Order: sequence, then structure tokens, then C-alpha cells
Amino acid sequence: MTACCPELQVESPWLGEIRWNAAEELFFPGGLPGFERCQRMVPVEIPSQRPLIYLQSAEDARVCFVAMPAPAVWPEFSLQISEDDRGAVGLAEDAGIGTDVMCLALLLPWGRSVQTNLDAPIVINLHNGRGVQAVAPAGTAGLFRLGENGWEAAC
Amino acid sequence: MLIVRRRVGEKILVGGSVEIEIVEISKSRVKLGVRAPAHVPVVRKEMATVAGENRTALELVAGEGVGNLIGRLNEIPVRPI
Repeated sequence: MTACCPELQVESPWLGEIRWNAAEELFFPGGLPGFERCQRMVPVEIPSQRPLIYLQSAEDARVCFVAMPAPAVWPEFSLQISEDDRGAVGLAEDAGIGTDVMCLALLLPWGRSVQTNLDAPIVINLHNGRGVQAVAPAGTAGLFRLGENGWEAAC
Repeated sequence: MLIVRRRVGEKILVGGSVEIEIVEISKSRVKLGVRAPAHVPVVRKEMATVAGENRTALELVAGEGVGNLIGRLNEIPVRPI
């Protein structure tokens, strides 16, 4: 008798052993810029580290991004996505953040703190698990940095 | 910079092996088709910038940044509504 949803696993150098089933995976048809071969990502939440969300590659254990919901960085965040990217993840025109789509800000180191580019959010269709990094050619949000008083737009 | 005017269907050749064709012209955008050898990467310029950011982003989980980050996120003052 075979399992209908076999458990998959990866040994992450930073998160340890991660187990999941295929239904929990996110699929990025084009990978991510710079990581085009990393199409399968596993979202990992550690309750004590919320609102952080780790995006662990299911294909390369060394690839693991740290992210958090974009509205938590900038409450006025609104999704700007091209027709091509919208089609890639099958997102409806009236998709609502939190109900139909999740928008994550990828964090990168900035000195002793972090910054994020809100013109390049990770967009995940919550109904089909497909994702894309929606890069705006002429963005309106830009870079945000975590300072002493919270998140601030970088000038 | 070489500046040329092209109509739909017309092409530009770059380096002898990269061909750019004007596929469609609309009021505010131009659709381009690019044929290039497999070893020549073709990306939107802003994607190249983000690719560099993503490579840098990997450093966060590998270093001590995450531990510091969690502490800092917990210290963010709550903004009055």
C-alpha cells in the first residue's frame, strides 16, 4: 500500500531537518531572479519567530530566504503586478491580500539590520500555491529599512 | 547609444547573434521578442538588480542576522491608530 502523499524532506544547514508533503509546496514556474532553477519552495514558520517566514528551497538545501508579510513592513502596501506575472500564478484581477494572495517581502542584510525591496515582493496565490517574484519596472514602494523606530522608507 | 526607429515586424541585430524584433506597439508599451543563443542571458534590467539582491538575501539566514532581527522586530514601537 503506497502513501498518497509521501513525505518529502530536506536537511537545511540552518533550519535542520524539514519534512513536508507535496501539497504544502509552493511552485515558482520561473524560479526566483538569480535562482531560476529553484522552482519548489517550502514555507517554514517558527512560531517564536513570527512574523518571519522562511522560504526553503526543496531542491537546494543551501537556498533559504527570510521573509515577512509585506503589509507588516508598510501598512500602505498594495500589490503591483504585471499581466505576465499575474497569469503565471493564475491570480484574479480582484485578488485580495490575505484572502487570495500572500505578498512577502524578502529580507536582506543591511549593516547590523535588514532592508527589503517592496517593488519586488514574493507573490503567492493562496488557492493554487503558485508563486512569482513580481518585480515592478518603475516601482512606487522602493526600499525599506529596519531602523531604531521600525520600518522606514530609504531615501 | 544607438537610437533607431522601428516598426512592428522590424528587427535589430546585436553582436551578430542576438535578434530583437518589434512584436507589438501599443499606446504606452512596446512588446519585444528577443532571440539569443542559450549561453546569452536575456533579462529585464530590473530583474538583474533583483537577482543581485536575492543573492545577498541568502546571507541573512547564514549569518547572525536572523537572531538580531527577531529581537529588533519585537522592539518596534506600536503605532497609535
